Amino acid sequence: MMDPSVKTRIPSDGEPSRILAYWSPDDVVAVWNNLAKGGTEIERAPQSPGAAHLRAAWLGPPSAPRLRRVAPLEQVDGYGVFTFPYGPISMGVPEAGRFDVRTYGERVLDISPEVGFKARRILSSVAGLTIEDAALRIERLAGPFSAAHVSAFLAATESAAGRGISAREAWIRALAQELQRIYNHIHVVARVAEAASQNVGLAQAHALAEDVLRLMGSTFGHRWLFGAFLPGGPPTRLGPDDRVALAGTLGRLSKEFERLWSTFQTSRTFLDRIQTTCGVSREETLRWGAVGPTLRATGVAWDDRLRSPVPPYTDLFLPLATESSGDALGRVLVRVLEVRSSFLLLEQMLERWPASGSTQLPASEAIAPGRGVARVESPSGDLVYDVSVHDGRVGRVSARTASDANWPLFALGMRDAVFTDFHFAWESFGILFAETDR
Amino acid sequence: MDAFSILLPIAVASFFVGATLSVVDRRWAYGASLVGAALLVLVAIRVIVVGSVTGGGWSGPFGEPEGLSMDPLSAFFALAAGGVWIATSTYSIYYDDRPSPLLALTYAVTLGSIALLLTASSFLLFLVGWEAMTLGSFGMILQASGRPMRVFSAAFVFLAFGEASTLFVFLAVAGLRVASGTFAMVPVALSVPLAGFVFVSGLIGFGLKMGVAPFHMSEWLPIAHSSAPSNASAVLSSTLTLAGAYGLFRLISVLPTPPVWWGGVMLSIGAISALLGALFASVSEHSKGLPAYSTIENNGLILVALGVALVARSESLDVLYVFALFAAFYQALAHAVAKTALFLSAGYVEHATHTFDLNVVRGRAKDDAREAMIGAIVAPLSLAAAPPLAGFVSEWMILEALFQSFRFSPPAMQFVGLLAGAAVALAAGLVLVAMVKYIAFSTLWRPSAVEAGDRPPGLGTVLVALAGTIAAIGIAAPWILRFLTPSVSAFAHLPVTAPVSGLLLIPQGWSIVSGSPFGILSPPAVPIGLGVGALLGLVYYGMGRNRVTRRTVPWMAGSAPGVPGETYGSFGYSTGIRVMLRSVLRTREVRARSGPVTRAELLTPVAYNVELEVLDPFKVFYDALVRFATATSAAMKQGIMPGRIGRYLAYLLVATLVVVVYIALAV
Amino acid sequence: MIHVPSWLQLAWERGILTTKYPFEPARPEEVSPAGVGPVPTSPLDQLTDAPARCPTGAITLDAVDQGKCVRCARCLGAGFAFTGPVESSEARRGDLVWAGGRPGAQTNDGPLADLGRSIHVYLVDVGSCMACNLEVLALSNPYYDSQRLGIFFTNSPRHADVLVVVGVPTEEMVEPVRRAYEALPAPKAVIAVGACAIGGGVFAGNPGLKGALEQVIPVDRFVPGCPPPPVAILHAILATMGRSRTPPGGR
Repeated sequence: MMDPSVKTRIPSDGEPSRILAYWSPDDVVAVWNNLAKGGTEIERAPQSPGAAHLRAAWLGPPSAPRLRRVAPLEQVDGYGVFTFPYGPISMGVPEAGRFDVRTYGERVLDISPEVGFKARRILSSVAGLTIEDAALRIERLAGPFSAAHVSAFLAATESAAGRGISAREAWIRALAQELQRIYNHIHVVARVAEAASQNVGLAQAHALAEDVLRLMGSTFGHRWLFGAFLPGGPPTRLGPDDRVALAGTLGRLSKEFERLWSTFQTSRTFLDRIQTTCGVSREETLRWGAVGPTLRATGVAWDDRLRSPVPPYTDLFLPLATESSGDALGRVLVRVLEVRSSFLLLEQMLERWPASGSTQLPASEAIAPGRGVARVESPSGDLVYDVSVHDGRVGRVSARTASDANWPLFALGMRDAVFTDFHFAWESFGILFAETDR
Repeated sequence: MDAFSILLPIAVASFFVGATLSVVDRRWAYGASLVGAALLVLVAIRVIVVGSVTGGGWSGPFGEPEGLSMDPLSAFFALAAGGVWIATSTYSIYYDDRPSPLLALTYAVTLGSIALLLTASSFLLFLVGWEAMTLGSFGMILQASGRPMRVFSAAFVFLAFGEASTLFVFLAVAGLRVASGTFAMVPVALSVPLAGFVFVSGLIGFGLKMGVAPFHMSEWLPIAHSSAPSNASAVLSSTLTLAGAYGLFRLISVLPTPPVWWGGVMLSIGAISALLGALFASVSEHSKGLPAYSTIENNGLILVALGVALVARSESLDVLYVFALFAAFYQALAHAVAKTALFLSAGYVEHATHTFDLNVVRGRAKDDAREAMIGAIVAPLSLAAAPPLAGFVSEWMILEALFQSFRFSPPAMQFVGLLAGAAVALAAGLVLVAMVKYIAFSTLWRPSAVEAGDRPPGLGTVLVALAGTIAAIGIAAPWILRFLTPSVSAFAHLPVTAPVSGLLLIPQGWSIVSGSPFGILSPPAVPIGLGVGALLGLVYYGMGRNRVTRRTVPWMAGSAPGVPGETYGSFGYSTGIRVMLRSVLRTREVRARSGPVTRAELLTPVAYNVELEVLDPFKVFYDALVRFATATSAAMKQGIMPGRIGRYLAYLLVATLVVVVYIALAV
Repeated sequence: MIHVPSWLQLAWERGILTTKYPFEPARPEEVSPAGVGPVPTSPLDQLTDAPARCPTGAITLDAVDQGKCVRCARCLGAGFAFTGPVESSEARRGDLVWAGGRPGAQTNDGPLADLGRSIHVYLVDVGSCMACNLEVLALSNPYYDSQRLGIFFTNSPRHADVLVVVGVPTEEMVEPVRRAYEALPAPKAVIAVGACAIGGGVFAGNPGLKGALEQVIPVDRFVPGCPPPPVAILHAILATMGRSRTPPGGR
């Protein structure tokens, strides 16, 4: 069952029916089942070199070698061409992952990220655990995106059980996600500023990000929101007085962010450095199934909070941020606009906070067996969880994270760039190795 | 008539005797060349110390006396040429292991012709030597390895440029003859237009042989394109161009006081050549192409120094005139020795790895021939002007001379001097890139999987001797400059004193002084200072305690080091220059699919082949010229002369030979 | 006309944010609630409910292993509190195990004391969720400003004195992290940051993982937490330099 409104949004050259990222949850399940049974639904997609990538992104590689390359676009050879290995340990990308840069010096002919260095086998190890214990691991899958991952995972189990949640619970999840989105977007601005040696701006953005972390710590009892939505987690402080204080702090942070960004906008060196750097086209983001700010920076108005809305987003005003340039500046601008819209969402939430509702999950035994899919807009884009539940315990869990989807776009954008573009490009995508090595 | 008058013709003759004996055994040719070179050096030293030598004389075809003689000016060039021939001939005995004697034959003929033109007492005999040199070199290039068509085409290009050179030299000599009525090498009073004609013809003719812009194709193409044998490359690059420089020096020494534009033109051509040569050297991956481009740079520097000298002479700046002349002489000497060593080391690399591709060679760090490595490191360092080596002294002198272009009175000349100074400084920087690349990827770094070939014995000794010479020429520069004073004096037709003085604690005569005084440098003090510093460091190191040396693998961002295909090559080392200077180098990337598009390709990575090419702007011009000539010839062939092109070519060659033989017999 | 503030003005108006730690104890917001470990409020053997609640086995009837604790807070309802004197880094793994639920004596050997007042730090991720990485990198933000204490981040282990390792070591990262350890010039130190590096955290027992960083390279300092707050990491780095002052939690 295809959502007709989705179909019409995609231009004809993007082969709408083949681009999984834009399918409704029901369609996702249908395709997923087909693929799991060995179907070739995607492979028939053709003329699209993205098909193999999409398949791997959703299902994992067929026989799971421990280390694998994502987004292999080309095999470049020629006189003087060699591989420049970058990683798995480097301070420029402070995560365990490697890039094989094909180059003849100076210029990037092809870049292929290699993942699997930090595969912790999280999704395969949660089978058989209670939902709370599984969530404890899933929130540590990617720390900066923990709220999105746990929300999607819990929503998938709830969907499997056919169970609704209280309004208050939904609002707490949304509040946490928006706070974490603000943190991540400011962090991206800080990292790009660092690559551009904008040291004052870097320090100010870093300080602002730390402010947000401390705000999350004081509100949810954990700077990274671990355990925040789980029964028995650290105590949340969202009483009426706390909400007033929270709104006050958010207002101050919002003003400081505006000042910071307006000062960034006066720095020609900063803007010039990221403008036209690592650009990808609208056609490429559609064809390769990009999500999140990467997609929206090429002018595609897609955001799960609007396209597959769940409460409280159904009741809130959310301006959708898009840019058309598709370069690093475009992605940074989208993030800046989203910081604004998240502040706006938080303001609305705190004003219209639901009066009552339980924050307690029902005991695990109450959950009926079944299978569910849920998707949320993580800071870097669409995140999908597919969870089956048996006997109150978690069965098979699969996920397609934003990082999975955006790898090829990073590789495409880096083609023909020079080495020094690397950090601007990398930081602007907001890809985490941790999200792919799950 | 003393013993040296007899030694001089014996020296020249021994090369040709050797060429004849090469039919018996190729080693005879090299042995006889070695003897001839040694005798030449002996005579040259005697001429510089005591005075001119005349040996043999007969009546020429135009009723003029012809013969062999050597004055201090030709003695300088004979000394430099003979010196490096001792090295190349010794090297060749080990290097040349071909069954055919043709390389040895043409080698000896080329050397003999150069010796002849250096010792010719008249311009007529000089021309004979000049033409014979071209033909001999042509023969040497034909012995190159590689595909026959490629070799022939390279040799033919060389011949074309060589004949063009002879033509212009002939015009210059004819101009002189018209004005003076003689071929003798004496100062001539010429009218201003005629002097200008002779100067321009000479500059083009000799410039063609020196391989300066825009004629640099003649230098690098035969060497790089066809991979000429290493001993041939060394002769082509160091002494053939030295012969060109000699011709230019000799011609200018007989011309009257130059107008200021002569120097200006020379300065400009020299600076452009230096920059172009350095630029293309830095992006060359050919173990002989890189030194060949470096030759273009060095000959450009000779022209720059000579240009400054000429302008200074026009402006009556006597101190600068003499200093710039010394700089030009020193540059010629330093280049001849260092470039010979560089080509011989390239031959060594070729022998050890069977390739000319620096990207493939990647160094010989595990090679056991340490003594050969010394030569392969010292020679490029000297060309990169590293103290205290020979190239450092000459480069310093040239830059010092250029710094004084503010003394020129016409603003245009000051401007030219300024631009030339900037170009030479930039060239020095680019040459550093080129030479560091050469040292790293021919010698110092880890070898790739290239199999080591046979290593002829004896090559290393020659390279060590040359390295020692390079260091000596650098360190002992003040004394060598004083030794060369008679040669400079013979050029300038003036009594001159070497620009040597003292400074502070450094003894009198240990320093070179530019201007009166402008800048000062003490070459012997440099190694002394370095030595003292090193000694202090050693003492400090010796005093330290608890020294534990722990060896670990290189840090490669956590990846395993030493994976084949995951290391920088020489191409990558200089791609920065290719990309940054793409507007000058006309850099373009050629991308092609490695194979046809297949169904599977839609699901697997697409394979591409990528080449990054650079383009010499002048080559575009010559290619167009060649296309035009080819098209015209084709039209002529079909329209006017529907015969066989081979016969015409044979006719041309035979005719040239007949003329040469006629002149030789007439002599 | 819109007034555009300059960088200077912006920096001036935000003022000094930097923590007083280590010269004064860290303030509560610097040691976030979950940044400190669980402390039993009653004798351990009376809290029979707690061991069952603990998902990582950090709580037993006779000891609390701060190195295994991931700060999930499930024990808070069973006689534990996230308050009180808490040590924030230890030189020996055993010192993280609080016999009877109370901390033992702090050992402090400062392996890099010879280096004086400046130290260079290299961060290595061997399998983290990125939270620990960001907490380590947060040391350079104006709130913690590690440079004022002579602590600098380098881009190569060749220039570093101390390796800060985060994450649970995967088999793939064993060789790379050993290479990084080899590349460090002596004298050198290794700091294991976070529950994952100390003992695997919530991922302990997953296939393909080494249980602890100690099994791969020698470790000189352990910083418990999931993730530890930046001040705790700061304390660990200072302690390896022999400049340990008051731990963030007081004591």
